[in-house]
Amino acid sequence: MLSVKNLQVKVDDKQILNGLDLSVNAGEVHAIMGPNGSGKSTLSHVLAGRDGYEVVGGQVLLNNENLLELSPEQRAHKGVFLAMQYPVELPGVNNMSFIREAINSIHRARNEEELGTIEFLQRIRKTAALLQLDEKLLKRNVNVGFSGGEKKRNEILQLAMLQPQLAILDETDSGLDIDALRVIAEGVNTLRSPQRAIILVTHYQRLLEYIQPDFVHVLLNGRIVRTGDKQLALELEQKGYNWIMEEDAA
Amino acid sequence: MTVPAQNPQTVKQPQVQQQEWFQHLLEDSPLADNENPVSLNKFRLSARQSMKTAPVLNRKQEAWRYNRVDEVFKNNFDLKLDAELKDFRNINEAIIENHQLPQLNSLKLVFVNGCFDKTMSNISHLPDGVILSSIAATLRENPEWLKAWFKLNDKYAEQPFNALNSALFKDGMYLHIGKRVKLDRPIEIIYLNSKKTRSLQHDGSMLLTRNIIHLQAGASAQLVEYFISKKNNKYFYNNVTEILLAEKAQLKHTRIQDESRMAYHLSSLYVSQKKHSKYHSSSFAFGGCWAKTDYKVDFEAQQSECDLYGLYTVGNQQLIDFHLDVQHSVPSCCSREKFKGLIYGKGRAVFDGRILVAKQAQHSDAALTNDNLLLVKDAEVYTKPQLEIYADDVKCSHGTTVGRLDPQQVFYLRSRGIDEAHARRMLCQGFSEDVVESVELEEVRTYLAKKIASTLNETEQQTV
Repeated sequence: MLSVKNLQVKVDDKQILNGLDLSVNAGEVHAIMGPNGSGKSTLSHVLAGRDGYEVVGGQVLLNNENLLELSPEQRAHKGVFLAMQYPVELPGVNNMSFIREAINSIHRARNEEELGTIEFLQRIRKTAALLQLDEKLLKRNVNVGFSGGEKKRNEILQLAMLQPQLAILDETDSGLDIDALRVIAEGVNTLRSPQRAIILVTHYQRLLEYIQPDFVHVLLNGRIVRTGDKQLALELEQKGYNWIMEEDAA
Repeated sequence: MTVPAQNPQTVKQPQVQQQEWFQHLLEDSPLADNENPVSLNKFRLSARQSMKTAPVLNRKQEAWRYNRVDEVFKNNFDLKLDAELKDFRNINEAIIENHQLPQLNSLKLVFVNGCFDKTMSNISHLPDGVILSSIAATLRENPEWLKAWFKLNDKYAEQPFNALNSALFKDGMYLHIGKRVKLDRPIEIIYLNSKKTRSLQHDGSMLLTRNIIHLQAGASAQLVEYFISKKNNKYFYNNVTEILLAEKAQLKHTRIQDESRMAYHLSSLYVSQKKHSKYHSSSFAFGGCWAKTDYKVDFEAQQSECDLYGLYTVGNQQLIDFHLDVQHSVPSCCSREKFKGLIYGKGRAVFDGRILVAKQAQHSDAALTNDNLLLVKDAEVYTKPQLEIYADDVKCSHGTTVGRLDPQQVFYLRSRGIDEAHARRMLCQGFSEDVVESVELEEVRTYLAKKIASTLNETEQQTV
């Protein structure tokens, strides 16, 4: 589904990604781990099409289509979703109307029928309940005055409502207590499907206890230097990243 | 190369031009009318006198600094038409229909080209204790009701446009609500301009209306005003509204100015508040090439409250100006001013919010904010909060911002599949939301939300 080849990205003239390769198939869950500054967030943002990143080499294909040529909204229409590390607040924009507008924008772009009010309400209430997200938050403005945990739940709520093909979770676990983490992980697990791929970008192994990945990649200095299964994550948890750095340098 | 000297006779000094401009309008109208009550004739005469001594408006005066008032005096407005198109009811109704105004179960007054149009209005079946009429009819039939007003010192004369209004106003609304009468139905006023002709000598009409609103002790009412016109009509709308709220009286007031993009508009509102009274105003400015709204609020007794909310949208070649002057001259009053601006074209927004807290006005509570979003390059905003505080035990705050849409917010919406133009529009609507929410009537809020959305659709055309 997703094929990243030799991706090189600069931010403010500083090279952050140095020839990154990644291949993700439908139905798979990939975890991307790495120390601070290794390029994890850059990768997430470049895949979602955020401004401020200059792709200086390589390619990114989603279902054999050049993703890098598409605007952020077009990528969303093709089924890319990024759950953000720091979801922004949107004052004056109602959460429920926003999610509905997002769904319908995607439906319109795909020439599909818009979602009816009743169906939408049923789905969003069910999803909010699953994520133990207070229904009052649906009626509030997007993320305004939400706690850190509520913002993350709201990201997963959107993920569940938009049903993307490729879901990228950028440090969704950061700042969550253990109960919130479990609820969110359960929510993500219900979204695992043979048609969908999930990329978990994370510092810690903790999240992977709840969402079992098929592959674990280590990102270091803008490249994936090691790929393994969930054992690799455990090893990283025990030994840190230094041993890989040393081996990589050798 | 030598530049030929300009003929001094063709170049007028600005002050001469200004005086002539006002005189020209005054000459159009007779000095006194025998059919008028004596008190009105006196009032008008005194206004004429004060215009002679009124200072010339220019950029050196703080109130006019960013206002480009000289542009106004380049136009020849006159008083000629007034009721000329009054009979073309279908034209006037079409204009109202085009604006898709909210459908309210209201008492309604329609002023066509500055004159009350009885057939389009609906002010029958008034509850006991409510007088609602046109000023012209009141002067004809019950001039004694207005006597008290004309005895008031002509305190509005320091500003020549307002003095002009005193000297020449033809019509307007008179509203009087008796003690403890709560008027449930909202009152709507539609000011409609339908004049279309222009000639070399005539740039359009000067329309002058005067509103007098008096709520007696414990009375309450809700008022919604719309200024609308045919597209591309050029004229000058000059409106003065005087509001007197007695003890515990409450007025909710919404004003929507959506005039032609060629129109000049000046509204001056004077609010006097007695003890425990409440004035709540939400003011929206969308139209006009030059539009200025001035509020002056005087707290005359303790524990009164006033909330002034406002939203302006500024497109290409528009100048929209709000001046607020809230006078805390007695203790323990509360005022809130919240104004927001969406600058979506190469135009200019001017905001000047003054709050004066006099030495004796202890325990005053005042907060003022003005936030502006610049959506294009080359847009201009001049914002100035002025808190003058002479008392020492008060709670006062102010803040103004001028910024652009946050790219992170735009990206967030786009990453969810919403296209960029729509994302920007959603954020602008979100920005305006609290001002729209300050309007009590849901139908009016819905109308405003649509109006803001359609205005912002223009944005895309202008930025492409």
